[in-house]
Amino acid sequence: MAYEFTKEDLKQIEEIKSRYPAVMPATLPVLWVAQNRFGHVNPDVQKLVAETLGLPQAHVHGVAEFYTQYYKEEKGKHVLDVCTCLSCQLCGGYDILHYLEEKLGIKKGETTQDGMFTLNEVECLGACGYAPMLQVTNDQYVNHLTKEKVDKLVDSLKNGEKPQYEKIGMPQHENI
Amino acid sequence: MPEVIIDGKSYTYEGQYKLLQFIQDLGKEVPFFCYHPSMSIPANCRQCMVKVGQYIIDRESGEHQLDEKGERVIRWFPKLQTACNIDVADGMVVHTQETDELVRRAQKDNLELILINHPLDCPICDQAGECPLQIQTYKYGPEGSRFEVKKVHKPKRIQLGPRVVLDAERCINCTRCTRFTEEISKTHQLTITRRGDKNYPTTAPGLEFDDPYSLNTVDICPVGALTSADFRFKARVWEMNQTPGIDITNGKGCNIDLWTRDNLVLRITPRFNKDVNGHWMPDKGREAYRLFNENRISRPLQILDSEQILSSWNNAIATFNEQVEEANKKEILVIGSAHASVEENYSLARFSNLLGLNQPVFVPHIIEGTGDGFLITDDQAPNTNGCRLLGFTELDQKSIKKAVKKASLVILLSDHLLDRGVLSPGDLDGKFLITFATNHSDTTKRADLVIPITTAAEHAASYVNVDGRIQRTIRAKETKYTNRRLDLEMSEGRLDRYGTNFDNWVTEENKIDCVPVWSFISQAAGAQDLDLVLNEGREIMDEIASVLEPFEGVSYHLMDEQSGIRLHLDTKEKTKT
Ligand code: SF4
Ligand code: FES
Repeated sequence: MAYEFTKEDLKQIEEIKSRYPAVMPATLPVLWVAQNRFGHVNPDVQKLVAETLGLPQAHVHGVAEFYTQYYKEEKGKHVLDVCTCLSCQLCGGYDILHYLEEKLGIKKGETTQDGMFTLNEVECLGACGYAPMLQVTNDQYVNHLTKEKVDKLVDSLKNGEKPQYEKIGMPQHENI
Repeated sequence: MPEVIIDGKSYTYEGQYKLLQFIQDLGKEVPFFCYHPSMSIPANCRQCMVKVGQYIIDRESGEHQLDEKGERVIRWFPKLQTACNIDVADGMVVHTQETDELVRRAQKDNLELILINHPLDCPICDQAGECPLQIQTYKYGPEGSRFEVKKVHKPKRIQLGPRVVLDAERCINCTRCTRFTEEISKTHQLTITRRGDKNYPTTAPGLEFDDPYSLNTVDICPVGALTSADFRFKARVWEMNQTPGIDITNGKGCNIDLWTRDNLVLRITPRFNKDVNGHWMPDKGREAYRLFNENRISRPLQILDSEQILSSWNNAIATFNEQVEEANKKEILVIGSAHASVEENYSLARFSNLLGLNQPVFVPHIIEGTGDGFLITDDQAPNTNGCRLLGFTELDQKSIKKAVKKASLVILLSDHLLDRGVLSPGDLDGKFLITFATNHSDTTKRADLVIPITTAAEHAASYVNVDGRIQRTIRAKETKYTNRRLDLEMSEGRLDRYGTNFDNWVTEENKIDCVPVWSFISQAAGAQDLDLVLNEGREIMDEIASVLEPFEGVSYHLMDEQSGIRLHLDTKEKTKT
């Protein structure tokens, strides 16, 4: 499949380039433009980015490979990154992961047949205080997970509703 | 003058230095992997840790602050520093692993970390014996590993490009190879993929590492992660002898090392010369090792009843002299060669002059547009300027064809004129062709008499590069008539010294039956009672220096001492190169 940026994308890329004294630093934001457009930055998209920016393909490839947030292959519409690092693990992170595996009928790392969900096990996302938690497609955190909360999340995602950003208080501010 | 104290000794210096380079220049050592003197400094291997501090100077009095014992107080950096990227500064105090337990410990622990995922397969690794990681570990590393779980596995035997193979597990991610393609060859073909313990160098998906300088990454890789597809598994480093030489595949004259075993050249690597090639050389020059081993002419060849047969040296000399005597002097054409050394061309010219023949002509081998402004030149021959400085007339294709037409006897020095399309077989119809040559070709096939001569790996001789720098070679492999034990200039390897007769240099077929041009010419002249004795390159160069002005002051001694001498090229000539 041939990938192409739309006119608007190209305009945005020009705008991004104008923010930096050199082209190279534009690699990261332009990869985002690409990922938002195509849903991933697979080798063909990386090549498109390199050609659009006039940078070596190897450079764009190295940058895209370095960051896990860039998807190097096609993923489901929603990517669920379930944390199983220490705090989440102690609070039932694996239970959540396995529950999702059963519910979606896939193993971690796989994508559902309808292309709706990809399920990943990830390391610490820096929300240890709200464990167990997961992140939706590089974006919203869903905290203090329970099976019910997971059910609700999956349903609303299927209906095209994104979860809301959650505001969580701090004990020292006594606003929990 | 600013002063720096390293391991309790004081050194004065001028200018700006990085600490690691400064320590190396003193002949001392700090272990390192990622630093390379001609590339940027990423300081990512963390192996070159040293302890660095500064004497405290009292601001008011300007005096050194002293402790109760009367010793100068040092303010240490709170943490160890990487020597490669820290600037040497006045009053700096440095402790290396030689004097400091903490530094020793840091270097040892860093090696333990680097080795955690390293496969430790030295017994089957090509780099063993010339591997910084192996050497550093031996000298500064831990005795064992505390790592008892499974190592991370990564891709192995990846053909990155036509000439380079990657074993990602051995890689320590120093980024020397990627920096090389970014900063030196500028092809930007390599990058590091993934991160953490899973990273390794690679090309962009679907692209090949076909950089014309790709094999330099094999040289600078401090481990066995990048190996040469051609040289892999051919020889262990310690079995080979290393002899300095000059690249003869183009006009740049890159300084090289010839690696020989049993009188075969097994590989060629660049040798540092800051005025010519730095640390690098093109891949094509490394291919030239085949020229020294394969397709060689051994024993003279002569056409008898329209068939080329092996002849004897006596026959060859007799035929040579007969032809020269019988031919009308005006119909003899002597052609020199930009592919042969100064000494060889000069010997031919001497002979030619003595007999009253023409001053040799030559046809430059320049292909416009093949050069890259770096180490690959348009000039395909190593000694074009040498021929010019000897005063040979430069002929183009049209004029050489004309000259050949008028001749009945053509004496051609080591230049495959038929193969490179300068002459066509028809041009030589009815002519007697004598050629001095190293390798078989269409040109030698056509020749009535072929005299096998030594290559740059078998004689000591000089070449003048495109910039007018004269540099010389040293004998690296034996011919039938030379002997490693008697020739003090030939290098000795470990096998020479410790090998038995059975694992040493015994394969007779690897020694070519050939002689230097000058010894053949001396013999031919001797048989004609001509007064011409040319013994060896060194003496011939002394003679050239004394009779030819452009070579004034040139000697092997001086060339060795200064890694080549820049000669004065006529500016008119220079624009032509
Ligand atoms: S392959 Fe060699 S040169 Fe390249 S990063 Fe790895 S260790 Fe360094
Ligand atoms: S040489 Fe200094 S960090 Fe690698």
